Amino acid sequence: MKKLLVIGTLVAGLGMGGMVAAEAETAPVLMKPKYTYDAKTIIAGAKLFAMHCMVCHSVQFMRYEFLTKDLGMSKADVHKYIMLPTGAGYKANMVSAMPVNMASKWFGRPPPDLSQMERYKSQDWIYTYLLSFYQDSKRPSGWNNHVFPNVAMPDVLAPMGGTWSEKGKLLKAGNESQQKFRKQVTDIVAFLRFVSDPSVIQRHEDGPWVLGLFALFTVFAYLLKKAYWKDVK
Amino acid sequence: MGLKEWVDKRSPLPDMWREHMAEYYAPKNFNIFYYAGSLLLLMVALQFLSGFLVLAHYVPSAEDAYNSVFGIMYDVKYGWLMQYMHVDGSSLIFVLLYVHMARGMIYGSYKAPRELVWIIGYILYLIFMAEAFFGYVLPYSNLSYWAGTVITSLLKSIPFIGNWVTIIARGGPGISGDTIGRFMALHVTLVFILIIGLIAVHILYLHKVGSNNPDGIDIKENKDSNGHPLDGIPFHPYYTVKDLSGFGVWLFIFAAVIFYAPTFHHIFLERTMSTPANALKSLPDVTPPWYLSPFYAMLRSIPNKNGGILLMLFAVLVPFLMPWLDRNPVRSTRFRPVTRIMLIIFFLNFFLLAWVGEQPPLPKYFFPERLGSVIYVGFFLLLPIVTMFEPTRKPPARVRYRAH
Amino acid sequence: MTEEIKNTQKSIEPQTSPAVITRRRFLTAMTAVTGTAVAGAVVVPMVQSLEPTAAASALATTTIDLTPIEPGMQVTAMWQEKPVIVINRTPEMLATLDETMQKGLLKDPNCNVPQQPPYCKNKYRSRIPEWYVGIRICNHLCCIPHYRPKKGSVAPWWLGGFHCPCHGSMYDLSCRVIKGSPAPHNMAVPEYEIDIAKKKVVVTHMYPLAHLC
Repeated sequence: MKKLLVIGTLVAGLGMGGMVAAEAETAPVLMKPKYTYDAKTIIAGAKLFAMHCMVCHSVQFMRYEFLTKDLGMSKADVHKYIMLPTGAGYKANMVSAMPVNMASKWFGRPPPDLSQMERYKSQDWIYTYLLSFYQDSKRPSGWNNHVFPNVAMPDVLAPMGGTWSEKGKLLKAGNESQQKFRKQVTDIVAFLRFVSDPSVIQRHEDGPWVLGLFALFTVFAYLLKKAYWKDVK
Repeated sequence: MGLKEWVDKRSPLPDMWREHMAEYYAPKNFNIFYYAGSLLLLMVALQFLSGFLVLAHYVPSAEDAYNSVFGIMYDVKYGWLMQYMHVDGSSLIFVLLYVHMARGMIYGSYKAPRELVWIIGYILYLIFMAEAFFGYVLPYSNLSYWAGTVITSLLKSIPFIGNWVTIIARGGPGISGDTIGRFMALHVTLVFILIIGLIAVHILYLHKVGSNNPDGIDIKENKDSNGHPLDGIPFHPYYTVKDLSGFGVWLFIFAAVIFYAPTFHHIFLERTMSTPANALKSLPDVTPPWYLSPFYAMLRSIPNKNGGILLMLFAVLVPFLMPWLDRNPVRSTRFRPVTRIMLIIFFLNFFLLAWVGEQPPLPKYFFPERLGSVIYVGFFLLLPIVTMFEPTRKPPARVRYRAH
Repeated sequence: MTEEIKNTQKSIEPQTSPAVITRRRFLTAMTAVTGTAVAGAVVVPMVQSLEPTAAASALATTTIDLTPIEPGMQVTAMWQEKPVIVINRTPEMLATLDETMQKGLLKDPNCNVPQQPPYCKNKYRSRIPEWYVGIRICNHLCCIPHYRPKKGSVAPWWLGGFHCPCHGSMYDLSCRVIKGSPAPHNMAVPEYEIDIAKKKVVVTHMYPLAHLC
């Protein structure tokens, strides 16, 4: 009887846990678009990143050469689309051209390095963040964000995606269609996801071979065990 | 005289081989839970190798630790493999430790004459916790910083000398580069050597009294004319080949985690591990890794600082008493269903505590936290009473095994 | 009675049939082979993780600015943990290169030992006669020789060159070794690119045949 009681309480406890988990938090609801995550979208994202983001943000753990080594982007393309004309080498880290002390002066603090941002915040967070800017005259930059209130960063993608009001009204259309713009944002997210773990390409290439080898070994080891355990009565 | 005989005459290894492998008789009815022990040996060896190679690139200072750890991911050839092996390996070691300990509890392996095997094993578990803690402070991420701050601040509760001990542990009033230096020294020397040494002691103590088995019967009571247990089989070759196939399956699982789910949905590698230490920015919620979170949940369940710490200490230390809390002379819970049900509830409750320990510290989690703590403590309080009066079936005279 | 018979039943009945033994041998061999491959799959990446990192190879080239080097002066820069010297040689200094050859002072005047890339196999041991670029490490036992450009500064007959403080090896201003030195060969010249218009030298990598010391 006592056991039944304990089980009952436990089940109630678990149910309770489920309920509290389901309760909505105050955090904004993140959008969950469909991401295509392959070399093509990552490279497209890298180009957009170099054009719009790298003015301020570094991805200091990445090197330009990884785009060639891991993604098969040609060296010429890396030079043409990705590298800043600051004279950093092809093997160098992807560091923003903006001096840190200047950045601190302009934004209050230097723009964060984005190398592990996807790992830290999740791709849905970055996607939603980039689409959640609105015009706010009370902010020094003139911008605010639903996901990251009072963020120092201005909406650098506004010329593409359009300028929005706090209530979600389009104030000034961007020069891209909403559909294309959202696709481009997923590309930037794909690049940031790649940057936070560039091993993914090699892992998925080597994975089947390694697992196959281990499985083969397991089969032989298991048959060997069976052969020996014939002795055991 | 060949070289082999020449060496054998002078070496202790042939005797050791006979004693611990070729003529170590283990019960023939081990089931799947008995793989965990040998797998733990494998994992410690792999952890040593991956740790050695990660350490080769690691810089223990407040300025460089984070960058050097992530430099391994980006700049070192196969650095990602070494790092994921080390990170996921530590979590998987705890998976195996919990399976290994749960097996011991289900089949009564802690009972006489194996009390010391249980105690040494439990000390090992606590040392693994320390090793893991020192390890996850080393990357000097924001999680490292705050986990280090929170855990070392527990030391402040030591009566009279608490503040002094905390300062000695941290090397200053707070976590800094000096903390990293001493934690690295502990992680790679003292604590690691303790683990290796205690594993050897654990195995030697086990081999002195012999392995338990799922039926909980003493196989040494039925011996053949040579003095070998009738229900025992030589460890080599039967259990070496069996463990080898276990290695295969386990390495497959390990590789699958590393290659396809290295962060394991951010359970094995938390999101907050991927942002540098920031003394001015506390984490949204400081939660411990999954394998420590049950105790952390109990710490939080009492709205009194020292009370919570005392409950956590009790929860961590009370399993030492298992051999004496269990009053039933029959070992295996196969023959005592009430204890078995209690154990299953205890394990489920451990999962509940692990889950709730990972949640943000909000008042709405008080109920599951307290319920879990009550069940955890209640288990150990009820155990002596239940085991004294529970209905018990008579175990068979010989172990049960179906040849296949 | 049946209980007792059951109780003395043994657990091991070793199989002796040749088929079983052969099967075990075969499976042992296969397990060993695949097991070795598994161990290799773990060990090979482990050893490779000790190769120079991408960060190290990003620093593998060194660019040296030529602007501050006045004629007759030298600059020594660090390249891959080794000193690389760049000398801006005056016409008088270049003239001493012929003189050492005429006087028969040199062990290897025509640079037949491949201590330099083919494009530097000339009496200047450089791509451009004025600019000498070489590794400043004595070919004998790895010391760093002193730069002694003044005539007569080491011996009355001295035409200018390098003098090693450790064991007295002597080199001319093209780092060709002078007879009577313990050093066997001329000093090594790495592979490099030189751009006179932009006034810079980029030292890229070691010439693989060159023997440093």
